[in-house]
Amino acid sequence: MVDKHLKYWLVAPALIIMAMTLLYPLVAGFWFSLHNWNIAQEATLGPFVGLDNYRLILTDDPDFWGSVRVTGIFTVFSVVITLVLAMALALALLLVGNDGLTVNVRTLLVLPFSMSPALLGISWRFLLNPEFGAISAGLGAIIPALKGVPILADPTLAMAALIASDVWHWSPYFMLLFVGALAALPQETIEAAQVDGASRFRVFWEIMLPQLRPVLTIAILLKAIFSLKVLDQVVTLTAGGPGTATETLAHLVYLTAFRFYDLGYSAAIAYLLAAVMGVLALLYTRFVMERA
Amino acid sequence: MNVRSKHRLAKAARYVALAVVVLIFFGPIAWILATAFKSAPDVYSLKIFFTPTLQNIRDSFATPFLVGERTWNSIVVTFCTLVFSLPIATAAAYAFSRFRFPGGSIWPIGVLATQFIPPVVVIIPLFIVFRQVNLLDTRTALVIANMSFVVPYAIWMIKGFIDSIPMDMEEAAQIDGASRLRAIWDVVVPVALPGIATAAIFCFVVSWNEFFYALVLTQQDATTMQVGLMSARTERGDVWEIMAAMGLVIILPMLVLSRFVQKYFTKGLMSGSVR
Repeated sequence: MVDKHLKYWLVAPALIIMAMTLLYPLVAGFWFSLHNWNIAQEATLGPFVGLDNYRLILTDDPDFWGSVRVTGIFTVFSVVITLVLAMALALALLLVGNDGLTVNVRTLLVLPFSMSPALLGISWRFLLNPEFGAISAGLGAIIPALKGVPILADPTLAMAALIASDVWHWSPYFMLLFVGALAALPQETIEAAQVDGASRFRVFWEIMLPQLRPVLTIAILLKAIFSLKVLDQVVTLTAGGPGTATETLAHLVYLTAFRFYDLGYSAAIAYLLAAVMGVLALLYTRFVMERA
Repeated sequence: MNVRSKHRLAKAARYVALAVVVLIFFGPIAWILATAFKSAPDVYSLKIFFTPTLQNIRDSFATPFLVGERTWNSIVVTFCTLVFSLPIATAAAYAFSRFRFPGGSIWPIGVLATQFIPPVVVIIPLFIVFRQVNLLDTRTALVIANMSFVVPYAIWMIKGFIDSIPMDMEEAAQIDGASRLRAIWDVVVPVALPGIATAAIFCFVVSWNEFFYALVLTQQDATTMQVGLMSARTERGDVWEIMAAMGLVIILPMLVLSRFVQKYFTKGLMSGSVR
């Protein structure tokens, strides 16, 4: 019977690929994290150390805890600012109406998030140059105190720049998501409330927002996951600096593994990051499944 | 103020708001695109009006920037990733949509969950494996690495589309004597084509933009455009006009595709896709 086995033949190639490129790395990565392994000196796996790497990271590694702090600050600010801004933009776009112009604007707004994070980072590095950066010049014109200030050399401002670049990258994406969700809301209750003389703000706060809850939950989880694994634009915008001011966890893993060649230790940090993301992923998949 | 002029004022305010949004979100991109055509002195003097030159584009194709070779690498890697991933993903998406598997919905959920594994976790063992089998700095390694996120992503998106295709169509085709595989090819694939196209566009964008795997897995021969960007930061300082020329090459396909990305956008997002 071909039909009986057909389903297995159909999924086999995909499962083999995923087993090779995801399942194996997950298992092997954990195995590596139980060893000391300097890949620059040793070709094969070094001595087994059990959970020592984890113990060291959690109890005696200021760099790790610094990165946890940086990643936490980055995640909270980027999630909140991105989503609030995206919702404001979506409402604004809805107010302007759906003529040809807004369709063109929406098409333009696809560009920030379809631009690669690597290019985004390096572009912002150029645009933030204190002497000839366009964003720096614009900022200096609005806020005189920032005129000619080397933004990426200041710990706080560099973090702000990293967050700003991320907000710039993602808010159009979530804006389009919210525009779709707002357009799908039933119009009757909204119109009825407007006829009754409710203000725009109250209509949004008391009628639209509660109905948007599922979409908002998905958006918050998604953006938190994107933020927690932020890496590409860290490499090209700040490289974790100045000092360790923007050293996110993913970047710390990258440096530890491929700059300091301390593979076992970096695998352990990576696993701790994966554990946090696993919790969010569980919430996300459960939520998606409930709705499906 | 009468009602009409008030209305006009409100309309004007809206267009001003729209203009500000465009300036903020498109301005930086436009600036980079313009910089690609500026002569070096114009780049470093914040000029808005300038005489365009093709010198940067020409320079970027020369050593050490090698935009030609690196663009070719990006094209080959992206193309191969899509060509291998989409049929594999379509087959799996169909099976997950139409058949029951032991363990039930754990399989499709598992597929979705893989999207949350941070790339830094995956790359360490992949790097070691590719080093052992001498695949470091090859396009093959990049295609395999890219498939790790493109395949699950495409399965999830295409499954959503196939779910919405009624079973009757395939059943009718099978009564006519066509085998199930033929029914899939003749009936399901054509109807699911918009879904497959949506997945293709998203997978194209994420493969083309992939940076981190290429950064770790390539040195020189297989370097893609995204990693090539780093070469604009030379030991003698940053050559921003070259960076801009490279940025132009990277953004160009997105400019062409933006209308499609926008059109298919909500569908793709609502199907729960992540990256």
